[in-house]
Amino acid sequence: MEFQVLYRPAHSLAICNLEPNETVRAEAGAMVSMTRNINVAAAAKNPNEGGVKSLFKGLKRMALGGESFFTNTYTAMGQPGHVSLAPSLTGDMVVHHLQGEQLIIQGSSYVAAPDSVSIDTQFQGFKGFFSGESLFFLTASGHGPVLMNAFGAIETIDINGEMIVDTGHIVAFTAGIQYSVVKASKGWISSFLSGEGLVLRMQGQGRMYVQSRNPNEYGTAVGALLPPRDN
Amino acid sequence: MQHQLIDTPDFGMLQITFDQPNETIVSESGAMVAMDTGVNMKTSMRGGLLAAAKRKMLGGESLFQNTFTSSGPGQRLFLAPGPEGDLRAMNLAAGQSFFLQSGAYVAHVGEQLNLDTKFGGVKGFFGGVGFFMLKVTGPGTVYYCAYGALHEIDVPPEGYTIDNEHLVGFTEGLQYNVRKFGGFRGLFFSGEGLVCDFTGQGKIYLQTRNAGALASFLHRFRPVKSKG
Repeated sequence: MEFQVLYRPAHSLAICNLEPNETVRAEAGAMVSMTRNINVAAAAKNPNEGGVKSLFKGLKRMALGGESFFTNTYTAMGQPGHVSLAPSLTGDMVVHHLQGEQLIIQGSSYVAAPDSVSIDTQFQGFKGFFSGESLFFLTASGHGPVLMNAFGAIETIDINGEMIVDTGHIVAFTAGIQYSVVKASKGWISSFLSGEGLVLRMQGQGRMYVQSRNPNEYGTAVGALLPPRDN
Repeated sequence: MQHQLIDTPDFGMLQITFDQPNETIVSESGAMVAMDTGVNMKTSMRGGLLAAAKRKMLGGESLFQNTFTSSGPGQRLFLAPGPEGDLRAMNLAAGQSFFLQSGAYVAHVGEQLNLDTKFGGVKGFFGGVGFFMLKVTGPGTVYYCAYGALHEIDVPPEGYTIDNEHLVGFTEGLQYNVRKFGGFRGLFFSGEGLVCDFTGQGKIYLQTRNAGALASFLHRFRPVKSKG
């Protein structure tokens, strides 16, 4: 299975080519088009999960991960096929090839992965609960490509040591990096006034993916200009 | 008249350079970006009030269209669609038809080119915009836009499935069938997923983003009406 990303960077579209009987799991709503031999199943589950447990995991993902409740599985029946996938907002997509390591993905950045990759919600996502930026992480582990989307462009940053990243700009990072949520400045007031609030202090060695725009900043800037809603 | 599609794919714009006086191009109202002062712009309800009203109400197009007429060689006109994204031209032979999502129409050249609003068959066929689509019949050239990049697909013999919100247009010779998609998704989320199964010989044109998704994202950020 492979992902081919077209129309980068602004309006990217990912073509996922499947061998006969191969499966890809994608965030519900990401499907743009597909060949006719694709069998779609909602409420996807990992091969190592079943029934109620998988439903619970789905709920957990929705509540904590910011990801859609349902992921769909797309299986090419009998012959090769493809599914094309796109995120809802403007921006690039990137593929990270997992080779046994773990990748921690910001909830709304996850798009798709094959069955050989397992996706789970990390409870350390709670750390971000107080940032006001609904920071929740999913953990991808196993072997295979993971497709992620960004709001804006994607920058790949390899670190060995320490770096500060804004919570609204993080897309994903490899598990060799530990993170802690810290104030942007020494004091609470200056942290708030800087417009950065809480930031991530990344420590260790590994790869980070960051997005060049922050969805919350964009939503705040544009949404405030819209007429008020009823509730 | 010469045309050039510039600034594609992200912010496509149509540049027209007129070869001689009295050449015309018709556009959706509001599409004009810039033009030489010698170009004459006339606003009209094409086909009269009833036809225009039908287009407006059923096709989601604007009521008015602008006709640009040159008065000399070398004059320029720039036209652009509202949303960001790609812009393309489709040349149609006499009698050849092309179906467009309402809203994808930007401009056309050709006095005999016919724009007709057609029943789409199923509610929400084009991403909730309406029941209707635009049937464009040549001879002439129609310019159309996509929200995002434009992705072209040759329908394979066994058919092809697309998400309705991403459909821009398709060539004649294709049959389609709309159905619900996404299992339980419709129960929990507004904007139930509809997909369209195409069969036959022809091409489908898709847009890689959809405006509805952006609108729902922004909705959360709208201020909330104060009570009382």
